[in-house]
Amino acid sequence: MEEKILEFGRLLRKGGLNVSFSQIADALRATAEVGFQFEDFYHALACTMICEKADKPLFDKMFRLFFLTLPASQHGRENGESQLVSTENTGHIIELARSAEGIGQGRGGGASPALLLVKAVQDGNYSLLNQLAQLAFKSLGNPKRKDLANLEQLIVQAKVSIGWYEAVNRLERIREKEKVNESTYSRWLECLNYLEDRIKELLEEYFVITFGQDALEEIASAANLREKEFYQLNNIEIDEIRKRITKLARKLASKYARRYRRAKHGEIDMRRTVRNALKTGGTPVCLRYRKKKLSKPEIVLLCDVSGSVAVFSEFMLQLVYTIQNRFRSVRSFLFVDRIEEVTNYFHNEDIEAALQEAFSKANFSYSGFSDFGKVFTIFATKYLNSISPKSTLIILGDARNNWRSDERDFLKQISEHVRKVLWFNPQPQSAWDTEDSIMKVYAPYCRQVFECRNLAQLGEVIEAIL
Amino acid sequence: MFGSVEELQKKLAACDYLTDRHVATIVYLALKLQKPLLVEGPAGVGKTELAKVLAQATNSRLIRLQCYEGLDEAKALYEWNYQKQLLRLHVAQTQSKDWEEAKQDIFTPEFLLRRPLLEALSSEEPVVLLIDEVDKSDEEFESFLLEILSDYQVTIPELGTVRSNHIPVVVLTSNSSREFGDALKRRCIHLYLDYPTFERELDIIHLKIPGIKDCLAQQIVSFVQVLRKQRLKKAPSIAETIDWARSIMTLGSKVIDEEIVQGTLSILLKYQSDIDKVYNKVSSLLPEK
Repeated sequence: MEEKILEFGRLLRKGGLNVSFSQIADALRATAEVGFQFEDFYHALACTMICEKADKPLFDKMFRLFFLTLPASQHGRENGESQLVSTENTGHIIELARSAEGIGQGRGGGASPALLLVKAVQDGNYSLLNQLAQLAFKSLGNPKRKDLANLEQLIVQAKVSIGWYEAVNRLERIREKEKVNESTYSRWLECLNYLEDRIKELLEEYFVITFGQDALEEIASAANLREKEFYQLNNIEIDEIRKRITKLARKLASKYARRYRRAKHGEIDMRRTVRNALKTGGTPVCLRYRKKKLSKPEIVLLCDVSGSVAVFSEFMLQLVYTIQNRFRSVRSFLFVDRIEEVTNYFHNEDIEAALQEAFSKANFSYSGFSDFGKVFTIFATKYLNSISPKSTLIILGDARNNWRSDERDFLKQISEHVRKVLWFNPQPQSAWDTEDSIMKVYAPYCRQVFECRNLAQLGEVIEAIL
Repeated sequence: MFGSVEELQKKLAACDYLTDRHVATIVYLALKLQKPLLVEGPAGVGKTELAKVLAQATNSRLIRLQCYEGLDEAKALYEWNYQKQLLRLHVAQTQSKDWEEAKQDIFTPEFLLRRPLLEALSSEEPVVLLIDEVDKSDEEFESFLLEILSDYQVTIPELGTVRSNHIPVVVLTSNSSREFGDALKRRCIHLYLDYPTFERELDIIHLKIPGIKDCLAQQIVSFVQVLRKQRLKKAPSIAETIDWARSIMTLGSKVIDEEIVQGTLSILLKYQSDIDKVYNKVSSLLPEK
């Protein structure tokens, strides 16, 4: 079992948790104390190996796959049989789906799992939801090993097969027609989330059972949010990252304070030194220093909010506004092929609400395709005069100009006006200057260009501007 | 101290502290492995209470160190009682001793002001040391805690090393208003206390307010549970549920309806913006009859 725990620790590290050796040693001691009764064993590992609540879902998943699913797969293989999802269950559900006609509120029209799903959600019938998840999973047949890389797509396919989108649509209509209240509606959403998670779980279990350790490791590294590329995130992960950004922001803010503290000695403060010398009979034993002034950077953010870059821009805005007091001033602009200032939306405290308001109200898009040239032109003529020459201008964007004119002279004009221009590009460096990306055209006018594809890199670049 | 998880759970319950088994398991492990227990969670779920009850259940003295910004060693660990030392020197001057002798006189335990940490380490009897709201302290203090928490000893230059006779039970609590360094986290056993489940909260209400009608208690708890799922600045804690239940009892109502909730919402929610958010939705949040 000790080896198993070591192995498990290694797997968690792969998933992005920092599990230290001493933590593993504690886990070993803890399990020795409470024994291997399932519940206790789980809590013993959890309280020694994870440091943050945010890491719990990942831990749970890995625990389930490693200690429950994986042994089952090895066991199965030894006996020359595969213990896949029991088939009799799914046969049962198909029958249920057929009989759904009867319970389908007199609508008639074919035996569709969608109706069943609507009913399950309305009743909060979790065993039915569970069966639906199995039905959805069955519909995929036997996915191949390489399909694991496209897990999200598989899930969508599975959802389509049980009429997920139709059911969601129906539920929304029922909600409007029957004035369903908030608490019921949130119960519905819980059911839907449960179903989706369940499908994902079934798929992951299938991969681990069929392909063993190897697949498990791939699942672990896919779950590593810090290294996950922004454009691959799904909604749940985006929420998760939002939470993490708030934490990251706090961490960065306190780090900055520490660095500043180390060099806090400024000039000698004569008045306080003399005053203090009275204590020691007029001899200035202790010198007093004037506090060093904090140099707070002024930040101007230009955020591309077209398509896949929007998520990244949103994260960046959230991060910067969370640590707003570390900057002298922050001004922010959103653009696609027009640009507008959105600083004012962020005056109230609720960053999330501000983000929504800014994204919905500001006029930043004309055609929906980014046009950096046009944007730089407008910015240089309309806003540049009001931008302080001391500020650091940060451009967030993929530099994909849709083959439009680059107007590099305007960027040059901008870069001469401000202290420095930084460019954060959310695409992998290998994709720069391919197709319509013109990073190299703009790069000479920037002090630095950073690749900023995931949470880990986002943290690094923010440190660079603090 | 405790032979098993069940025993611990029972002892805690005997002190009016109801916990789930997993909480008891984690506390039990912290005691057994002699490691500090870091309790995190939203305000008002009973983090501090846990430490107090633990002291009661183990028959030890509770020593509490409340953290705040600017807390330093002098306040947390020890300080020399300068005034007393000065007085002593004045007395000594008249007796004309040399410096070495005078030093022997003034740097003795007599002139030492024991602050909570030193007190916990040098205590003869078993103690529970509660370091409350560690997240409020500065980073320097956190790294200073590391030494104490890993070796349970501290060095006073003039006196030598103070080593604890009993390893104290250390409970740290945090509202996570600041991130801790990894070093501190790794030395601790982690316990995340969340809001209680429906059944657990119902039990607590019955325990704290004897004589409340079960159907009213159920309504109260289910409304609070729904409320916690809303996006609020500060969700109502257990303490607030109890206060609210008490005030509804005082008002003499048998059931909760929109009017009563709106009138007493400020007991549950402490931010005006939260109250505004919920005020008009109350009827849709109320449990169905």
